[in-house]
Amino acid sequence: MLFFSFFKTLTDQVITVELKNDLCITGTLKSVDQFLNIRLDGITVEDPERHPHMMAVKNCFIRGSVVRYVRMGARSVDTTLLEDATRRGEFMVRVLKGLRVD
Amino acid sequence: MDSQSPEPDTAVNGSTDAGPLAGSPSDFLKNIVGKRVKVRVGNGIDYHGLLTCLDGYMNVALEETEEWVNGHRVTTYGDCFLRGNNVLYISAMEDL
Amino acid sequence: MEQVAAGTISEPLDLVKLSLGERVFIKLRGDRTLTGNLHAYDAHMNLVLSQVEENIHIVDVGEDGTAAPPRIERRGFEMLFIRGDSVILVSPLLE
Repeated sequence: MLFFSFFKTLTDQVITVELKNDLCITGTLKSVDQFLNIRLDGITVEDPERHPHMMAVKNCFIRGSVVRYVRMGARSVDTTLLEDATRRGEFMVRVLKGLRVD
Repeated sequence: MDSQSPEPDTAVNGSTDAGPLAGSPSDFLKNIVGKRVKVRVGNGIDYHGLLTCLDGYMNVALEETEEWVNGHRVTTYGDCFLRGNNVLYISAMEDL
Repeated sequence: MEQVAAGTISEPLDLVKLSLGERVFIKLRGDRTLTGNLHAYDAHMNLVLSQVEENIHIVDVGEDGTAAPPRIERRGFEMLFIRGDSVILVSPLLE
């Protein structure tokens, strides 16, 4: 849930998605779902010679499970907010599980 | 000995408390916390260290960890977290 | 429900929690390692790191099947999301 929300904050920003097969796709993030599937618009491929079949593709849907990395600008991310949200998320999980909270 | 069939647990162990040799895998895991262990992960790499704790996914936390690759110690880590899906087995390196 | 071992670590994820905001070393599938500042994680080990250096460990194999000496390819990223299923190991870096 944390990363679903995180990616929603990146909507309409330009990101680069690196897939597990080394293909790197840069484009504007149009939407994301709970599985971290990603829809990109206006895409370009990092190494078009190696992936000529991608030249004509303008937008795409990427299945979350094939993603290795998502690269983004440092300015698009509030790191203190992320750290707080991570700690809060952990806290909520522990409350729901009835575990020790401290 | 002519009574009804005994409890399976007592038959094997002679007692009901979960001693080192008690049956279940989770008894084993409980008993090795705090001990020196060897954790083998999928790519054939071993991690030797003091087992801080583990969870139901077999996520593992180790202290004083050494990374061993085919018989050679290549790296050490102070603390380390191993993601459970990579764990093939955990083996005790000292008596339980 | 469980005893408190080694300070505040009672489950493995606590080790990662203690590393929030700190520099960490990550080992990934595919002979990759990362170092970076940890800003977020979840139970899948999805991660967000900043000021990341990635090292890819490559062993080239020649036509005759002999292995050349291993080489390392380096890349840097200012902000990186890592999908948890590639993660093998997370370790806080002592500096």
